[in-house]
Amino acid sequence: MQKRFDQARPFFTLGVVAAAWLALPVVGKAFLRASFFEFTAPANVAVSYVRDLQEYWSLRLHSKPELIEAGRDLARVNASYALSIQQNAELQSEAERLEHMLRMPAQPGFRLEPARIVQRDFSAWWQRLVIRKGRDAGIPLGAPVVWAEGVVGRVSEVHAYTCVVELISNPGVRLAALIEGDSQPVSFQGGVNPAFGPARGIVEFVPLEVFAYPVSPRRLVTSGLGGVFPAGLVIGKVVRVSPSADGLFKTGEVELDPRLSELTEVSVLVPENAAVP
Amino acid sequence: MRGGLVFFLTLLLLQGLVAGANHALAPLQICLFAGGLYAGTAAFLLPFGPGFAAVFAAGLACDANSGAPFGTHALLFASIHSVLFHYRDRLPNDETAGRILIGQACNLALFLVLTFQRIRVAPAPAMDWLRLAYDLAVSQVAVALVGPWFFHLQRKALAFVRAEPARSLL
Repeated sequence: MQKRFDQARPFFTLGVVAAAWLALPVVGKAFLRASFFEFTAPANVAVSYVRDLQEYWSLRLHSKPELIEAGRDLARVNASYALSIQQNAELQSEAERLEHMLRMPAQPGFRLEPARIVQRDFSAWWQRLVIRKGRDAGIPLGAPVVWAEGVVGRVSEVHAYTCVVELISNPGVRLAALIEGDSQPVSFQGGVNPAFGPARGIVEFVPLEVFAYPVSPRRLVTSGLGGVFPAGLVIGKVVRVSPSADGLFKTGEVELDPRLSELTEVSVLVPENAAVP
Repeated sequence: MRGGLVFFLTLLLLQGLVAGANHALAPLQICLFAGGLYAGTAAFLLPFGPGFAAVFAAGLACDANSGAPFGTHALLFASIHSVLFHYRDRLPNDETAGRILIGQACNLALFLVLTFQRIRVAPAPAMDWLRLAYDLAVSQVAVALVGPWFFHLQRKALAFVRAEPARSLL
């Protein structure tokens, strides 16, 4: 009898642990999750600092002519950005004047919080980034994350000095979007991530009069509906649309920017009314 | 208990290395999964209790750093550990090659379970199979390459704290 119990002990223990785990309240699981994440976070962050240092020393190897050339190119880009800032300020004041005239509610404002990437985890099951800013920088849960070319994703977990960002290529992420040149909102879903190629997504509820081909793709931008992402941020390019099974709408394929998987720095859009630490 | 703690630390080291490799492989959209090395070794080196605790805690650390529901990796690793412990006298675990094969079999099983668990949220599951096949192939090769070093590291770590690999049961 004793021998039979000893033989079954691994499965008995497993059953007890599994039952205890299922019975554990959600608060307990959330506490454990945060504890284990914070326990491993210092090592991950330290590795990211070492990576930055490595990059710094590799940049130091560049010759002076290369640096002069890079500085000249940067000056040109800065000049064009300075012009864009002036135009933006003018457009902003025009928008505010029209809002005031039409008594429209003001658009929510954001401050940009730049953050370095600690870790990329791009599997077929989930697509996430860990960034080096968290509660210490006042980042709220669900905040949009962007880069120079458009949307990166949204903050799905906030920890003491790190955040987890769910990418737009993560399976299950859904956004309300607009195809440029069309005013009807469509639904974007990420999650088609082939190996050795850029991530893709699908777009649903596309009006029948919209056409897109690989040779003449259409830009997909955020619609501003849903209250998370401001309107007009680039999501990707719609490269193909075809009628859906019900015939009422079209579904399409969206190609995301291939540089999304090589990012080293992103910006979090923190709402201006969020608490400042 | 000392043995279990050291074993857990070696699993954390493995987690850090796999995370670093995945960070570097991200531009290729390829991902390594080494769950078989987490779950497939403790049964042959430690008594049941400390091994179970180490594997379960390492699973929780994996869960905290992944997009899976919290507890998924932990319960899967614990299940594999229990099965391996039950059959450990019948498995060819004396030779490194045998343990690599066991690690790869565990890796395959865990990969398939996680895939079937996560595939329901994918918008186009039929388009994911090729990517999953690439990930699995790379992961199996990585387990075969890293396995011998990792087994040796675990043995050395246990010897260092004088918690020699145990053949005694329970």
